[in-house]
Amino acid sequence: MKEMRPRERVLSALRRETPDRVPWVENDIEEGLQERIMGTTQFAPGELCEKLGMDGFGYHFPMGGQAVAGQALQAGGSFKETYYYPQKVTFDFVPPWIAEMGVIPETGRTFVKKGLLTSNDSLKLFDEYLPDPDHPARYEQVSKWIDQYKGDYAVFARIRLGSASMLESMGIVEFAYNIYDNPDLIKEVHRRFSEWSAKVVEHLNKMDFHFYWVNDDHADTRSTWMSREQYQEFFLPYQKIVADAIRKPWVFHSDGNLLPILDDLLTLGMAGIHPIQPSAMDIKKIKANYGNRVCILGNIDLDYTLTLGSPEEVDKEVKERIATTGVNGGYIVTSANSLTDYCKTENVWAMARAVKKYGKYPLDPNLLKLDSWWGT
Amino acid sequence: MPEKERLQQELQEAVIKGKRDVVEPSIRRLLSEGTSPEEIMDRMMIPAMDIVGEQFSRGEIFLPEMMIAARAMNTGLAILKPMLTAKGAPSKGKVVIGAVKGDIHDVGKNIVSMVLEGAGYEVIDLGIDVPPEKFITALNEHHPRFVLMSALITLTMIAMEDTIKAFKAAGVRDKVKIGVGGAPLTQNFADRIGADFYGKDARAAVTKCNELLKE
Repeated sequence: MKEMRPRERVLSALRRETPDRVPWVENDIEEGLQERIMGTTQFAPGELCEKLGMDGFGYHFPMGGQAVAGQALQAGGSFKETYYYPQKVTFDFVPPWIAEMGVIPETGRTFVKKGLLTSNDSLKLFDEYLPDPDHPARYEQVSKWIDQYKGDYAVFARIRLGSASMLESMGIVEFAYNIYDNPDLIKEVHRRFSEWSAKVVEHLNKMDFHFYWVNDDHADTRSTWMSREQYQEFFLPYQKIVADAIRKPWVFHSDGNLLPILDDLLTLGMAGIHPIQPSAMDIKKIKANYGNRVCILGNIDLDYTLTLGSPEEVDKEVKERIATTGVNGGYIVTSANSLTDYCKTENVWAMARAVKKYGKYPLDPNLLKLDSWWGT
Repeated sequence: MPEKERLQQELQEAVIKGKRDVVEPSIRRLLSEGTSPEEIMDRMMIPAMDIVGEQFSRGEIFLPEMMIAARAMNTGLAILKPMLTAKGAPSKGKVVIGAVKGDIHDVGKNIVSMVLEGAGYEVIDLGIDVPPEKFITALNEHHPRFVLMSALITLTMIAMEDTIKAFKAAGVRDKVKIGVGGAPLTQNFADRIGADFYGKDARAAVTKCNELLKE
């Protein structure tokens, strides 16, 4: 098969076609790990991709500042100015949590102390916290970065459907109570976040992004945080506001076991689903039951393999996943969440080597023998 | 149906369905009918909460139902606790709980706390990012039956082992049962670091505590 360019490879897999080899893209690589891989904070996103053999990028990079711990800052308060005028290279377009934030001094990692949207009166905080989704500055700056850095890579924006914003800004306990105490509050909070995201998406659709990665956690390893009926009432109609605005392929991300709501979720029309957390869902079953509807991304374990395992274990896992899920295309290798800065660097290199070694189509027949399931 | 039986049914259904506004009048009526606080707690409310836990474990109900049931249970506890304490009834004991050093995730911990309180434990919640010395200080101050530690990410699981080592170094390891939980954890990990038990979810954590109390 003719060698594809990275962007073409990713978009082909998202269309559930068979590219020249299994692509590799990450939802996020934390900046400390980026720095360890590159040996510097001054590099272009494409250089990181080239070094690792990765096919696309989005998220955020340390250029223009220092590497920070954790994911993109999502605090409220002073968020607006840093949102409009980002100083460091970013491709994220997520709203802030409307929450009291804390920070761990030793690492600088931020966290939600307490959601603030807990009453009808608190809705006024939306005006205080949410940036103007039509403010041009961030779109202009990020467009320049895309032009400057895209090369042959697939570039994605990270956005939200509004669900994670609602859950974090209310707090999971308040959300649970308000399902029964004040259901209209949940709907109103979700609607406002979703409408904000939909407006953002209208701008992003005009930019040169190749796809979106939509991050909204709904579940833990045991189950979803809501029943199917609650999902249909409190989430789906508002998520649809954003999904209907999207004009590019998109990948949905939620950790955990999504099985109770997966059939409804897929009606939103995403191209891919990520990360199929190994401790929560069986990727073989997901591929078998949903592989004809959606591209599968992920399943390289973050709980053990990438963080505590050995390079040999990473190699074995990537090989098995490609054998299990890569057949007939429609699979993108990624970690089962993101490459956090506590992943072992040598394991990230092992992942890079394994994707290259085992991912070429047509897949090695010996590789396919690994997975007897396909023969049954 | 006798009045007491009807009221018991009403109270248990109120706990199971999380109807906290029904819990208080039901308990008041049962008390006025002569039912003891111990009986209301042990034979009515705790069995009702057990049903909720079983439904949650089987995937028949989800987090919101579990949480409102725990809240309804706590409403009842607030009424009964002063009476039980005044009569010298033994409480199930104290539990010190916290997300370990470096871990900022508290959703799972908060759910476990709520359910433990609903099951009759007194919970001392140390919050997130709890260093070993803070666990030890709480142990010395509150003398809990259990110390429960949570971690959501692999990075901070290591802090659980460090905390247990600190307990040993301080000579207090044998004074308390230690339970661990959180998404990346396994029974093997709990065994390896020397925890007394692993709870895969809130229900399991409470069940393990209850079982250890019987030993």
